[in-house]
Amino acid sequence: MEQTQQGFQVSAVKPIIEFRGVSKTYQTGTHALEDVNIKINSGEFVFVVGSSGAGKSTFMKLIMREEKANTGKIVVNGFDLTKMKRKSVPMLRRTMGIVFQDFRLIPNMNVFDNVAFAMHVVGADSRNIRREVSKALSLVGLGHKARSMPNQLSGGEQQRVGLARALVNSPDLIIADEPTGNVDPNMSYEIVSLLTEINKRGTTVLMVTHDHNLVRDFHHRVIMLDGGKIVADNAGGDL
Amino acid sequence: MKLSSVKYLVGEGFKNTWTNRLMTIASVGVLVACMVIIGLAVMISENVNMAMGNLEKQNVVMAYMEDYSWALYGDGANQKKGDSTEKADKNGIRPSDYTIHNEAEAKALCDQIAKIDNVASVTFVSSKEGLESATKSMLESQKEYFTFLEEKDQNPLPCAAKIAMADMELFDETIKKIEQLEGIDSIQSNSGLAQTLAAIKNGITVAGIWIIAILMIISLVIVSNTIRVTMYTRKLEIGIMKAVGATDTFVRLPFVVEGMVIGIISALISEGLLYCCYRIATETIIKTFGGVIAFSEMAWVLLLLFMGIGILSGVIGSVIIISKYLRKEGSEFAAI
Repeated sequence: MEQTQQGFQVSAVKPIIEFRGVSKTYQTGTHALEDVNIKINSGEFVFVVGSSGAGKSTFMKLIMREEKANTGKIVVNGFDLTKMKRKSVPMLRRTMGIVFQDFRLIPNMNVFDNVAFAMHVVGADSRNIRREVSKALSLVGLGHKARSMPNQLSGGEQQRVGLARALVNSPDLIIADEPTGNVDPNMSYEIVSLLTEINKRGTTVLMVTHDHNLVRDFHHRVIMLDGGKIVADNAGGDL
Repeated sequence: MKLSSVKYLVGEGFKNTWTNRLMTIASVGVLVACMVIIGLAVMISENVNMAMGNLEKQNVVMAYMEDYSWALYGDGANQKKGDSTEKADKNGIRPSDYTIHNEAEAKALCDQIAKIDNVASVTFVSSKEGLESATKSMLESQKEYFTFLEEKDQNPLPCAAKIAMADMELFDETIKKIEQLEGIDSIQSNSGLAQTLAAIKNGITVAGIWIIAILMIISLVIVSNTIRVTMYTRKLEIGIMKAVGATDTFVRLPFVVEGMVIGIISALISEGLLYCCYRIATETIIKTFGGVIAFSEMAWVLLLLFMGIGILSGVIGSVIIISKYLRKEGSEFAAI
């Protein structure tokens, strides 16, 4: 934070995600989001909570440019998603890492190859791939399981591989879709601790969750959605 | 796209071909069947065209000239058309009633015929040669009569031009042009046979084109289906690729390589199979009908054709299917 001449405190960091008057209505007529205005700054850890149908999925899909807003403006990592052409979407996605609830590991690839896969997509050379994959696996504590196949790992371990894959291209933003949804409570804490650790290194983390215990125990910003509107946001304070 | 990515994706394409080997074998099998049929259609068409060509060469046209033939060999040998001193013969016919009076004029008319489009060759047939040729098939008594006439310089046959045509489809048109030349008396031709030959050639060409076109579409559908199945088995991978920022080209390339590999394998097998089929077939045909086109003359053309069909159907099939998928469902990687 820095002091302005007028004495106001303003954030020195730029928003990594910004929604301005964003509304989304699907062709079926479902109003998923209505006039959403929000800023998420670089380096923040944000939980997105809300019941089913609250608009969490649409919120995330809009950030990843899987869907387009009907009205309003969305800026993610400097990309104006409302003006973005389809062919530019891969460039946006290379600036973010995505962690899925169901891990989404390729079953016939070992742990190393599953993580390396994300680097092949961005055209990394093999020496760089070897170095970065080993680093990412060590960070999630799975350096010793590089040659294991996904079905030889526990749920928690599989999710950590997913996390390593999201991290390996050094993204600015990690989007985690209920990453603890398929793991036991102890492992859930471990996963969120890991994400917190990654966040401390400067990566912005946006995590969708239903687990109130995690939200309560990890003191991060919480955005609550209901009926397509942001009903609560504890930016800079308690919810 | 970087070279490392291309190498990786090409490798993935080969790997996929092996991983989905049952589908690959099924596709190769059907593609080979299509290609062999295409190859047979081409070979049959080429052989029939060759046989038609030979028949066409034999189907010559005889153009008889307005030849004051007696003038060539008789009293009027030195008379020219329009000569005021010309005398009428015993039938009251004057040399000026004819255009051709000597071999030089007849040969000049042959040159004029040769200049007409579609005339492949013209051979001058003097009345003497014509008579010799005509008497060959005659009975001895008839021969004697004609020999007698010739000895008396009264050969009744006019000079003629033996004409071969390049394209039988233009037969009637060419005949009309020849008829219009001054000095042509009559034309003996087998217009019916020419038309039949042209119709057969046309029919075979059209049928060949249809067979190739239909089978090419079938090939395209087969490869597309294989790619579609492969694509759905790799839905998860495609989703992850899209999530981590893969471009459409990156997603597409392994499938394109897979399609091409299927096409190339099919082309090579088809070439081999067609060689065996053709060899067996031609051994019988040669014994029955005589010459056919040697396989080696067509081998490269066929291999290129097969490669073309295989690679094109692989590339087009995979590009269509993947593009459709990426447009409609491919971006739904998150499923949240």
